[in-house]
Amino acid sequence: MSDRARNIAVIVGMAAMAITLVFLVATNPSDVDRVQAIGERIKCPVCQGESIANSPSSMARDMMSLVSDSVALGASDDEIVEELLASYSGAVLLDPPVSGATLALWLAPIAALGTGALIIVWWRRHPGEPAEDTVRSTTSSRRLGPLLILGFSLAVIVVVAGFFLQDRSGPATGVADLAGQDLEDVSEETMEAVVAANADHPQVDGMRLALAERYYDIGDYSSAFPHYLAVAESANATGAQAVTALVRLGWMAWDGNAETETAIELFDQALAIDSASTTARYLKGLVLWCGAGEVDAATGLFEEVLAAAELSPEARTNVEADLAAVRDGDTCP
Amino acid sequence: MRGNALRWVGYGVALAAVVFAVVLASRFGTDPSLVDSPLLGQPAPGFDLTPLEGGDPVSLDDLEGDIVVINFFASWCLECRNEHQALISTADAFADEEVTFVSISYQESPPASLQYLETEGKSEVTHYLADPGSRTAIAYGVFGIPETFFIDDEGIVVGKIIGESDAFTLGATIDAIERGESPGQSVTGNTQQSPDG
Repeated sequence: MSDRARNIAVIVGMAAMAITLVFLVATNPSDVDRVQAIGERIKCPVCQGESIANSPSSMARDMMSLVSDSVALGASDDEIVEELLASYSGAVLLDPPVSGATLALWLAPIAALGTGALIIVWWRRHPGEPAEDTVRSTTSSRRLGPLLILGFSLAVIVVVAGFFLQDRSGPATGVADLAGQDLEDVSEETMEAVVAANADHPQVDGMRLALAERYYDIGDYSSAFPHYLAVAESANATGAQAVTALVRLGWMAWDGNAETETAIELFDQALAIDSASTTARYLKGLVLWCGAGEVDAATGLFEEVLAAAELSPEARTNVEADLAAVRDGDTCP
Repeated sequence: MRGNALRWVGYGVALAAVVFAVVLASRFGTDPSLVDSPLLGQPAPGFDLTPLEGGDPVSLDDLEGDIVVINFFASWCLECRNEHQALISTADAFADEEVTFVSISYQESPPASLQYLETEGKSEVTHYLADPGSRTAIAYGVFGIPETFFIDDEGIVVGKIIGESDAFTLGATIDAIERGESPGQSVTGNTQQSPDG
């Protein structure tokens, strides 16, 4: 390889690396990317060596939610990490701090690179000396140096590009990204991130509701509550979505906090939107019976529910059992 | 000549690698959850939480001027069950002094925590609070439960017990704080991170 060709190879390698880095720096990550990136730096405190971004634990989910909220409020990455450090210390960082015993972790690669660079420089300054090992006996130092630099440049580009591509294949960033997907296949972390990043999107209520239903199904009322509330208060929610949210909020108010009056008020709001809602009517009857002891009102509501033609056989059986019990003066189930 | 120089470079790299490995190995076996809480000596993180049974929220500001004992618990935590009666009896014992006990439900739905308290008993002078989204647990850097924090009458975190505590330890810690001391952190037993372990 001639001197000119070697120089061109080195310049091309360095230029490619520079372009890659400039492209990465110039790319402004979305909020979802930031939440994911911060989450991957934070160790889940209740797990073994997992980040909060990758842990399925509910504590990790709560911490990701906190990170997401902080990002939405405009906090910088460092501010968010500092906030967690103030509570947990450096033990919560997956990347070791650049101090103390872990300083060596950061210095070692730099030292290794520096040593390698020194060896290359030394070889280049002593081109005519006899070689001792196989490599040096077949390859002159003048040829080896540029090849090493070129190889190193290519390796850096591959590694950096790998990180970049990994980020691009991360979680979906918008509601539209998930519009065609079956939400059953989407993780709760992804749904949380998408909902947080698209709080004002007109189509976000459907996803909020699906996410809230997941939490509700496993009895995690505290996680479900804010999403149901957001749907109930959303100007973009459909009538059916608002009714579902109000009915769930009503049931959680009673089942979780024994707030009978609040529950009935929420069921009434649902019925004001959809007077045919059998779920709202049935649950209102149940709360009136169990929470307020209003047997007559409960009886009337159960009878109205049974009169509804669209009731499923299973639901009909349950309501009939409740109606029989309330008529017999039994205690509520 | 060049061979000797390279050999010495090789020795240097090998020595550095050995030192590096020793430094890393010295950190093995250290439980990160047992590091001293960075909150010790700092103002206690505020909270504004709703009681498990509903009603008006309770904030740390409301308790200003009191020594506040904050315990994180859950029904799925065996160590929490073991210390439960000690917390009740100590809270009752200090009811006439300016000491307030706060028990915060950790990673559990309010109905489950309430059911637990109905079965195991409650102190009438303790605030039992829900922590939606674990925001307060995160603010206090909870790694596992039970963890109990002690806040002095000026709102500074002065003590932390990791693991199951007993009435003697709780009482002695509060006595020390009343004397103006800062008990610091102590590890009295295991903690549980989740219902599975």
